[in-house]
Amino acid sequence: MINTAFYIFFALLSVIPLVAWLLHRRSRWLWLPAMLLVVGLVAGAAAAGHGVWGSNQPVPSFSWNFPFPFALSIDRLSAFFLFLICAISIPIAIFSLSYVNGHYQGPRRAWIWTLLPLFILSMSVVVTASTALAFLFGWELMTLLSAGLILVEGTSEERLHNVFIYLLMMHASAAAVAAAFFLFWPHSPGLEFASIRSSAPALGPAIRTVVFLLAFVGFGTKAGIIPFHLWLPRAHPIAPSPVSALMSGVMLKTAIYGLVRFAFDFLGGGPPWSGYLVLAAGAVSGLLGVLYAIAEHDLKRLLAYHSVENIGIIYLGLGSSLLFLANGAPQWASLALIAALLHTLNHALFKSLLFLGAGAISHSTHTLDLEEHGGLLKRMPVTGTAFLIGCCSIVGLPLFNGFISEWLTFRSFLGGSLLANATAQVVLPLMIGVLALIGGLAAACFAKVYGVAFLGRPRSAEAEHAEETPLAMRTGLVLLALPCVVLGVLPSLALSPLARLAQVLVPGSSVPEEISSISRVIPWVAATLLGTIVVTFAIRRAQRFTATWACGLPPLTSRMQYTSTAFSKPIRSVFAAVYRPDRKVEVLPADQPYFPASISYRSERTTSYEKFLYRPAVDAIVAAAHQLRRLQTGNIQIYLLYIFLTLVSLLVYLRFLR
Amino acid sequence: MGIVGIAAGKVLSSSSVFLFLTVLLLVAARRISTSVLLFSLQSAAITAQVAVTAYYEQSVEAYAIAALVLSIKVIGIPYVFFRLIDGLKTPRDVKASTTPAQSVFIAVAMIFISYAAVRSYAQDVSVPGDTLAASVSLILTGAFLMVSRKKALMQMIGLLVMENGIFLAALATTFGMPLVIEIGIFFDVVMGVLLMGIFTFRIRDTFEHLDVSKLRRLRG
Amino acid sequence: MTMAIDVFQALLLILAAPLVRGIVARIKAGIQGRRGASIWRPYADVLKMFRKEDLAPPSASAVFRFAPRLLFAVAVAVAAFVPVLQPSALLGSLGDFIVMVYLMALGRFFLALGGMDGGSAFGGMGASREALVSTLAEAPFLLSMAALSISAHSPRIADIVGWTLGQDFFDISAVHILAFASMGMVALAESGRMPVDNPTTHLELTMIHEAMVLEYSGPSLALIEWASAIKLNVMLALLIALFGPWGMATHLAPVALGSAFGVYLLKMLLLMTALAVIESSVAKLRMYLVPDFLGVATATSVLAIIFTVLSRR
Repeated sequence: MINTAFYIFFALLSVIPLVAWLLHRRSRWLWLPAMLLVVGLVAGAAAAGHGVWGSNQPVPSFSWNFPFPFALSIDRLSAFFLFLICAISIPIAIFSLSYVNGHYQGPRRAWIWTLLPLFILSMSVVVTASTALAFLFGWELMTLLSAGLILVEGTSEERLHNVFIYLLMMHASAAAVAAAFFLFWPHSPGLEFASIRSSAPALGPAIRTVVFLLAFVGFGTKAGIIPFHLWLPRAHPIAPSPVSALMSGVMLKTAIYGLVRFAFDFLGGGPPWSGYLVLAAGAVSGLLGVLYAIAEHDLKRLLAYHSVENIGIIYLGLGSSLLFLANGAPQWASLALIAALLHTLNHALFKSLLFLGAGAISHSTHTLDLEEHGGLLKRMPVTGTAFLIGCCSIVGLPLFNGFISEWLTFRSFLGGSLLANATAQVVLPLMIGVLALIGGLAAACFAKVYGVAFLGRPRSAEAEHAEETPLAMRTGLVLLALPCVVLGVLPSLALSPLARLAQVLVPGSSVPEEISSISRVIPWVAATLLGTIVVTFAIRRAQRFTATWACGLPPLTSRMQYTSTAFSKPIRSVFAAVYRPDRKVEVLPADQPYFPASISYRSERTTSYEKFLYRPAVDAIVAAAHQLRRLQTGNIQIYLLYIFLTLVSLLVYLRFLR
Repeated sequence: MGIVGIAAGKVLSSSSVFLFLTVLLLVAARRISTSVLLFSLQSAAITAQVAVTAYYEQSVEAYAIAALVLSIKVIGIPYVFFRLIDGLKTPRDVKASTTPAQSVFIAVAMIFISYAAVRSYAQDVSVPGDTLAASVSLILTGAFLMVSRKKALMQMIGLLVMENGIFLAALATTFGMPLVIEIGIFFDVVMGVLLMGIFTFRIRDTFEHLDVSKLRRLRG
Repeated sequence: MTMAIDVFQALLLILAAPLVRGIVARIKAGIQGRRGASIWRPYADVLKMFRKEDLAPPSASAVFRFAPRLLFAVAVAVAAFVPVLQPSALLGSLGDFIVMVYLMALGRFFLALGGMDGGSAFGGMGASREALVSTLAEAPFLLSMAALSISAHSPRIADIVGWTLGQDFFDISAVHILAFASMGMVALAESGRMPVDNPTTHLELTMIHEAMVLEYSGPSLALIEWASAIKLNVMLALLIALFGPWGMATHLAPVALGSAFGVYLLKMLLLMTALAVIESSVAKLRMYLVPDFLGVATATSVLAIIFTVLSRR
């Protein structure tokens, strides 16, 4: 039964490219690929749902051994992530129905409908793989297909450069992940997950450390934690909006899956310091991610930086879970893990929602620059309301889903004070301050985004004449916004399956009591708020719209509103040390300071990690390459000599040194 | 025990907390007069501690030291300082090279370090760890104040805070030094304050400011 | 019975809030050598504004009218978190301090949006400044509460208060003193008082909260004013409950409750006087010095957390 659903999912998604190419000239059948995609995804979600809510028995689906052991199966962890992928993709597919068909024609449209289902399929392969090679197969495919989707939008020089960086970093990440897998080879030749799991205790501590570090770097690059996030703000914004939603909302989560699979399932907790490492990565990514986001006024790039921030929050949860695990507190470890996994789900929901919202805005106003928006809520009420829900969720305000996961993370930090280890006792509670600062900055950032884009007066003619988006796009947005509220008010819907999952991953834990406590208090808070709001709306007085008094001057114009840049200025100047802006003021002509013909002001942010981390690394590699070039003389005899020397040295090694 | 005994116990258990608080406020203070006031309060906390020690030990010498501390550090030196500030008529801010927030974070770090440094030693020789940590952090903060404040007056205050720390350390480890030595130290401190007071007037008259960082121009 | 007292506590915090404002203003006037308005004046203001018509700028959307209502609802919900007469509260026995702090953030977020919805320069300016202050106030607020909850072994406010009640007043720990210093500074910032914000100013250089609500009028403004009065009242009551709960009724006897009420009023009067003294003697900080002020609060709360470990031994 489950397998049938899973097969339907696979079959439908693989058949869509064919359909898309066959029908791409017939405008009457344009809805068919999207419909097939939705049906396939529903089947996939159903197959995964069994693993999420049902038994924990892994359900093997595909398996063949030629040319390499390739097998897919759904256990509880896979099921959660497969469910996430399928469920989030459904609204995105519905949104794409009108977005893709409205924005692209001819072969481009067919290309999108070819790559999109395959991209989703490749992510499903990653999370359901039960052999290392199947995992790596899906992992590489996922990168390539998403790069393809970015290139459908255009092939300008800058775009190619960004895609190149994306591919480069992804291959480095894949190499690290592959190396992490292959270190298990001596103990489990087939590299099936089951045998990897059972062979993990046999690894020496040094090898375990290396495996953990490789997985941390490999998956960290994919997840976009700082300093490996270089590709993220470059690749995500330039993709078509539904693809951005998939990349940020769903694809990043495969990296979380990988890290959880390695750190919890395979290794059963890393080395003792691993928790601190992950916590530090999370804190740095969270803080810097949100600080960079505030300074942006390109909506999609801003959202991309917020992905870095949210991955940071997830890492904070994972890190504290690892720390608890290393200190023998499985109960708290499971709470922190639940927090991290719930935030994974929540981030998938609201980040997809926000990226789709960005798509809807650019559909209506043809720009992603916040300074050109304004007053959109009155013109696009459904999109505006859905976007507002997304903003509240990502900020982590109560009654929205982001709050639940942040609350659980806070509580797990508080639990750190009960550990025996003095360092952990201080470090974990101090993380409360870090997470609070991240939350506060995120609130400031989204107050800016929503206030500038959707409220006030329109700041451009495009925004003035913006219209509500088509039905399919609105449906997609609403379908993503609803669960944000539902999970925010009734968190137990998501928490009880996650608690069961955490019990599998953290042996010896039971369901934390915090879960029931938050599920009890939130409905009361919601009732209090709703009740009071209803009462206050009952006090009705005459309402009148009238122009604001402008001190007797001509009426206010949209240019007098605070801009996005102005809004973030106080925060940017407080955290100036992070930005290190490179400011240049040019006054022309220079000899007349009081009557200049023109003044130009340019402020550029070269981020510190680029200057201090990547630049030296790249320079070192280039220098090393120059040295290596000496080996490449172009003389055939020399190459033969290399081969000869290698052979001889191998023989010597075999004979004498072994 | 009686009510005095209970009060004495409470003073001992809470005085280091008050000392930490004065340390935090001292590095956050923006004005010289606030710093002087805080120094006076800090010395008052130390006086209370000496008095309590005297009560426990029933030693007249210790009472004498408490009276000395009270008269010199809580009343005398602050009075001299306020006179100086009035007489100098320079701007009232401390001219710090770090912002208050940074200074407080540094002070927090120093308190943490002093706790960590003192912990094992305090357990070995069984002296009150809190008091010892407080004294070490007073010394560190005094040094920090001298390093980071540019006004000459603030460097005097930094020195006095350091002296407070050393005094407290002696009190915590050996229940204070002999009376003669204490009197000698106090004499030194008073002379130091008076001398520096005269010097600051000289500096002000010659350069019309008290910014120590600008004295670099005196180099040949 | 407990329930009834909990309801009474919440109502007290909500309904007496304008009075607290009035009394603080009166004490301030006294300190500054003025006669000052009646302490009942804030009630008259709120009532007057409720009777007026509700004006909105033409650019305003639904958010503009929704924000004050939500802000008020949040204030009501937050009032239900704070124990006053006994160590329990309607929501404070269920929910913890994190929920409370984040509820406040919910109200602020929407008020900032409402400010920007007005479409004038002032709303955006106020929202931007408020965003800065609240961003930086959140960390010390949560950290100092966390330090207390670590000492009390429970994150629920009612439990923290109950635990503190069981302690000896003279056994003040470093954690409590540091957390009190930090919370005091946060309370000033959160309720928009000096030296962070001047509640009586309308100068564009200095105003934060007032700039944000400049476009509001009528019932909307009444709700905003009432909500910020509740917030001030709640912050003061929270300081009392967390750091000086002694005198609260530990059992349900009329005498105990009556004396708890009397003691509460005394403590409240003391805090209000302290607030008035601070506001009359301290100059408002320049906008860009506010981060320093809150930075000091953060450092103090960090030290409080460190001391939860150091003082355990």
